[in-house]
Parts: sequence; C-alpha cells; structure tokens
Amino acid sequence: MPALNGQLVVFGFASFLALAFALLMVVQKTPVRSVLSLVVTFFGLSVLAILLAAPFIAALQIFVYAGAILVLFLFVIMLLNLKEEAADKDDRPVQRTLGLLVALALGGLLAGATLRAPVPPRGAPTGTPIPLPDEIPALGRLLFSDYLLAFEVLSLLLLVAAVGALLLSKRRFE
Amino acid sequence: MSPTLAVALEGAAKIAFVWGVVLGAVLPNLIWVERRMAGLIQDRPGPNRVGPFGLFQAIADILKMFMKEDVVPMYADRLLHTLAPLILLVPAMTTFAVIPFGSTIRLFGRDIPLVIADVNIGILYVFALTSVGIYGLVLAGWASNNKYALLGGLRSSAQVISYELAMGIAAISVFLAAGSLRLTKVVEYQASGTFLGFLPLWNCFPQALGCVIFVVSAFAETNRLPFDLPEAEAELVAGYHTEYSAFRFGMFFMAEYLNLIAASAMMATLYFGGWSLPLLHLTGLLGGLVSVAVFAAKTGFFIFLFVWVRWTLPRFRFDQLMNLGWKVFLPLSLLNLIWTGVLVLAKVI
Repeated sequence: MPALNGQLVVFGFASFLALAFALLMVVQKTPVRSVLSLVVTFFGLSVLAILLAAPFIAALQIFVYAGAILVLFLFVIMLLNLKEEAADKDDRPVQRTLGLLVALALGGLLAGATLRAPVPPRGAPTGTPIPLPDEIPALGRLLFSDYLLAFEVLSLLLLVAAVGALLLSKRRFE
Repeated sequence: MSPTLAVALEGAAKIAFVWGVVLGAVLPNLIWVERRMAGLIQDRPGPNRVGPFGLFQAIADILKMFMKEDVVPMYADRLLHTLAPLILLVPAMTTFAVIPFGSTIRLFGRDIPLVIADVNIGILYVFALTSVGIYGLVLAGWASNNKYALLGGLRSSAQVISYELAMGIAAISVFLAAGSLRLTKVVEYQASGTFLGFLPLWNCFPQALGCVIFVVSAFAETNRLPFDLPEAEAELVAGYHTEYSAFRFGMFFMAEYLNLIAASAMMATLYFGGWSLPLLHLTGLLGGLVSVAVFAAKTGFFIFLFVWVRWTLPRFRFDQLMNLGWKVFLPLSLLNLIWTGVLVLAKVI
C-alpha cells in the first residue's frame, strides 16, 4: 500500500476526471457538450503525462488535440447547428454489436498488458523535485534517425488525407 | 525552514507579485491608456472627469460592470453561457507563469530566478493555453443562441487556428536559434552576443520576417483591430459577446486585456531580448531590479503598439484575413524557418 502522497492524489483526481468525462462524452445528448467533455478528458490525460515527467507530451496533447482538432469538431457542429442528437431507434444493430465487441477486445488487451507489465521499483517519495532535462532534442534526434521512415510515412499519410478531403469537398460543389 | 516550504513560499510570492502587478497596476492603467489614447488619436479629449486626467476612469468602468444587471437570454444554454467567460479568463491569467520577467535576484540567502515556472516546454505551454482560450469565444457564441454571436464564435475559431500556425512556425525559428524551448534560455541566448558584430543578438534582427509575422499574428490571436472580426460591431452587433452584460461582459473585457499584456510580454521575450539590455551587465539586487524595469519598458511599448494600431487601422474583411493568414503568412513563416536554419548552419547566429 503506497503512502498517500501528493502524486497519488493528483493521479487519482486526473484519472477520475478523464474517465468520468469520457463516459459523459458518450452519454451526452448535445453534441457540443460531448466535445467539451472530451476536452476535459484530454486535460486529465495531459496531467497524467506531466506525472510521468513528460511535459512535452502533455503540452502537445492540449495544443494539438484540445486546442486544434476539437475546436474544428466544434466548428463543424456549430456550422451544421446540431442541437440534439437524432434519436435513432437502433437502426444500426450490426455496427452497435461490432462496436461493443471491439471495445471489449481493446479493453481486454489493455487490461492484459497492464497486468503483465513489470511493477516499477517503488522508491521513497522525495520532497525535492527532480530537475527535468530538455527532452525535445532527444525526441527530435530519435524522430530523424531511428524512426525516420515511420515519421515520414506518417506525415505523407496526413498530407494524403488533407489533399483527399480537399478533393472530396471540391467535387461536391462542382 | 525546510527546502520544500521555501520553494513553495518563493513560488507563492512570485505568483502574488506577477498577478498583483498585472491585475492591480497594468490592467487598470491599460483601460485608461486605451481610452485616453483613443481620444488623442481621434482629436477629442477622452474621459477626463474622474480624478486628475481621468486617471480613475478604470475604477468607474469596473464599478459600472459590477452594478449593471446580469442578463442571461431565455433560450441560452445556461451552463455553457456561464462557463464561457471563465474558460477564456483562466488561460489568460495563467500564461504569465512561464514568462521570465527579470534576471536573478538574491534575497534571504537564496538565488531567486524571476520567473514563476521555468519549465522545459516554455512556449508550448503558452501556445497550449492560448489555444484553449478559443473555447471561451466559441462557446460564448454558441451558448447565447443568437445568430450574430454564433457567427462571431465561428469566426474566432477559424481565425485563431489559422494564425496560430504562422505564429507557431515563426516561434519555432526562435527556438532553432536559441536551441531550447525554455524562455529563460531564449533570453540568455539573446543577451549572449552580437549579430553581425554591431547589433544585439535579439531575434528581431536576424529573423525580422518572423518577428513581423509573430507581431501581426498576435493581433489576430488577441482579436484586436484590425483583426477583431469575431466582434465586428458593424456586421455582428458585438459578435460572440452580444448576449453578455454586466460582470460577465467584464470578464471578456478583462481576458482580452490580459491576452494583450501576455502577447506583448511574449514579443518582448522572444524577439527583443526579454529583460536583457546590451552593454548593461549589472549584478546583484540592482541588476535584478533594472532587469525587471527593462522588461516592463519593452512590454509597455508593445502594449502601446496594440492600442496605437487599434485606433489607427480600419478592420479587414474576413476573406482578406484568411488569405493573409494562409496564403501569405504561412509560406513566409516557413521561409523564415529555412532562413534561420541557414543562419544557424553558417554559424552567423
């Protein structure tokens, strides 16, 4: 039983926030509120990243996901002026069942991986904060050496997606 | 005193100092400066009744905000309508945490760096927070259930995302030169040498293009004229805050000014050497105090620039704004990035 230290309290709070608002996102009827719940979830996740001594990931999480992608979601929802989710009477039984199965499989996979993971050595919590090294140079070096191919393929994929989206939307107007 | 307690006390003191100065001194004076400058530029007296030279006008303005009736439209989304100004205000108040406002001073036997949190992600923190602030505008527009407010909210999200790109890429060049995302390192780098032998190594000289892009984009990010399209009163009544009154409107007002102050401080830090001044190498308590004064003067200049531009330039059209952001600033900021890379490789900077 680990001692109730500050880290644990923050961890519990952030995880609770992330999980509770993820649930809210699914059950919420108003699309705008769903998006906002997801934003809170991302904040919870970014607090967890800070606890893992990865503030860069935390900042990217907020900057990219909460700050850009979800704002675009909101933008689309507002542009279409969706007030209430259409109450569809389960007209997609196949998708619903498949979705449940995939969710269960993913959950099982994650739970299995977590249980099999080695338990990290639990050191005595120290009062003095450890100074964080600059992680960005190391990250950049990795991205442009070991993971160069994956990195470039990924950026190409994003570019293709953007061009494709543009093409589809243009075609509709012509 | 235990070291943990000392660190906590030091942090609390710095937060109190920064918020005290920003909220207690800069913000009220900014209201006064903006209104008096408007008068000066438009060749009229401006508010001059409350106190000498109208200096207490800000108090009157703030009191008025608190005394007025707080109206929430009947068909508004009450929860989000209440939350929206807060969502805007909280990031605006927390950006100051990573901006170094002075060098290091030595008090009570401790070296105290004059920055609240010297984190290794520096500017990413600022960008992340400003991008969260958009939600305030968007939600205010949506929750009001008013077509003008909705249009204002839509505009703000499109505008802020577009200009964040150019601004971010311009900022990347700064870190390319400094070699770190830490804002303290960026200031130290700019104080460390000269550019071409006679200019200070401030980023505004080798990266003049990036500097212009950053400054102009900051106007768009803070919704200030000539880019205040989200609240363009000639077309949208008052845009996203059409349905806000009393102190809720005051919160929007306050957030705009806080963002303006933070943007000015960022310009001074990233491009104009922060708290450093060339040929001035004072140490000790005097050096620390002078560095704070230098930083305040630089930030003050940019605040003045914001006000000056607001009352001088007319508003852009929305398509012009988007064209400028995507077709001019984005390519130019990439060009600036390549240029900076060349300079770094050639060891000029």
